[in-house]
Amino acid sequence: MIDDLTRQVKASMGIFESREEDDVYGLLAEFSNPSTLMHAAESVRERGYSHFDTHSPFPIHGMDRAMGLGNSKVGYFTFGGGLTGLIVGYWLQWWTAAVDYPLNISGKPLFAIEPSIPIIFEVVVLFSAFGAVAGMFALNGLPRPYHPLFYSERFKKATDDGFFLHIAASDTQFDQNDTAQMLRDIGALNVELIQDDGVADA
Amino acid sequence: MKDSVQRSSLLTWLADPLQATRDTAKRAFQSTTDRRVWLAPLGIGVALLVLSAIGFAADPEQFYFSYLIGWSFSLSIAIGGLFFLFFQHLTRAEWSVVVRRIPEALVWAFPALFVLGIPILFGMHDLYHWTHEELYVEGTPEYDAILAGKRAYLNTPFWIGRVVFYFAAWTLIAYKLYTLSVRQDVDPDTDIPAQQRTVSAWGLPLAAVTTAFASYDLLMSTYPHWFSTIFGIYFFSGGFLGAVCLISVLSMSMQRGGMLKNVVTKEHYHDLGKFTFGFVVFWAYIAFSQYMLIWYGGIPEETVWYKYRMEYGWGYHSAALLLGHFIIPFILMLPRFVKRSRPILAFWSVWLLGMHWFDLHWVVAPVLNEQGGFHWLDFACWLGLFSLIVGLVMYRLSRHALVPQNDPRLAQSLRFENA
Repeated sequence: MIDDLTRQVKASMGIFESREEDDVYGLLAEFSNPSTLMHAAESVRERGYSHFDTHSPFPIHGMDRAMGLGNSKVGYFTFGGGLTGLIVGYWLQWWTAAVDYPLNISGKPLFAIEPSIPIIFEVVVLFSAFGAVAGMFALNGLPRPYHPLFYSERFKKATDDGFFLHIAASDTQFDQNDTAQMLRDIGALNVELIQDDGVADA
Repeated sequence: MKDSVQRSSLLTWLADPLQATRDTAKRAFQSTTDRRVWLAPLGIGVALLVLSAIGFAADPEQFYFSYLIGWSFSLSIAIGGLFFLFFQHLTRAEWSVVVRRIPEALVWAFPALFVLGIPILFGMHDLYHWTHEELYVEGTPEYDAILAGKRAYLNTPFWIGRVVFYFAAWTLIAYKLYTLSVRQDVDPDTDIPAQQRTVSAWGLPLAAVTTAFASYDLLMSTYPHWFSTIFGIYFFSGGFLGAVCLISVLSMSMQRGGMLKNVVTKEHYHDLGKFTFGFVVFWAYIAFSQYMLIWYGGIPEETVWYKYRMEYGWGYHSAALLLGHFIIPFILMLPRFVKRSRPILAFWSVWLLGMHWFDLHWVVAPVLNEQGGFHWLDFACWLGLFSLIVGLVMYRLSRHALVPQNDPRLAQSLRFENA
């Protein structure tokens, strides 16, 4: 149950597990250009796949919608960070100035909200930024120095002129032969089986 | 203005300096309404101002203050429209082209506002304490050393000269931006976008300085002992917010009337909503900066301005201003769907237009009344003047294409999406 939940959460971050019996990670298909890749993503989603991702050398406008990604959830992390910053910033100033080391400075109150707001504001901004960056990393499953797709020689083109789509074996619809055939049908130039044997080759 | 579009007759110049070019508009961008859209607000405006005139007979002093608040409201929004146009031209914005005709029609409000400002000249004795001659007679109990020191700046002839100069500058910029854009509808001269950028480049600093000094002269000097150098930005932030809200509201109401179908989309409202939200925060940032420095300095001649606004019922106004102009809209406008939903964005736009007036009322009204609260003239003058101005905006919109139809960035604007 916990394992299942972990797997689902990891899948939502784009981290898919390989098949236990034969270490098959999934299928990697190459497409000729951004628009065929976008159409491929659309048809893969329409066929009910959910454990898949696309890779291109540059962002492709409309790919989010084609993949059915929906809205980013980073905003909630930012908001949570901001609220934390609000509490921390308020508490920090009240505790240091009025509790831990009270000092009378030109007769002003030990703690007052007016001069504290700029610092609270800064801490809110800082923690919101922490929340946004941490949330972005978490939702993307980063940092990820090792990825099974790195076994593919061809995949190196993803940073140059290659447009790729991979479907993970963990997808409930995944079938080694049928899925490969389907990818060819929707216009893949070539389809490669990726095995994650855990051994880095030289 | 070359010969592509004729100047209008002197009589209609105040309302629109150009002849109607509606017939040259593409069908999708043509106004389909009859004259009721501008006659109705004009009628309401005139009726409310006639009502205010009755109020003038009963209580001239209250009338002048209410009138100054209402007039400053429309003036600040017209100034906000100028800055909106500067920003769009200078950044070569693509998203805003489909809604840009609305602020373009808005900024020609300056000549009408100038004429509508004449009553303030008659009320100067009531509005501006520094106009009283007895303050400057040395050796008398009325002598005011502080105001005597400010006399070189705060005196009636110089004040009138300055206000005339501000209006001349704003009218000149508005004329350039408005006529260049309308001329482009008829005659797609490829040089026009560069000219619009040039006007914006010198217009921006000119409008910035004149807006700041106008806010000192028109509003801050109602309590002449007090001073705040950030006051100009405070005035600008509310006006810009009002202008963005008015653009959203007018665009939505034209769409309800069946115009601009599929021209202004959710994506454009999303950006207008972001602008609105941004300036809710900017206003609060400036308002707080002004307050905090005065709190920290703790100098009586500065703090007294806030003291008046915290006593005798004005404290409720201050609290309502903080909640209604910042905290509530800030929290409730955070989510993305709020800015993408027309009814919700319409609600917040109208709300914030109301709060902008409430803000100006909070700045000016405590000078007259020790007790917090409203007078019916506050509402009559405000809505009367604003109806007139909106009616004139609708009049200009109905005479020309509803979007700058030959703008080279129109195609990008039409298919704009928030990535």
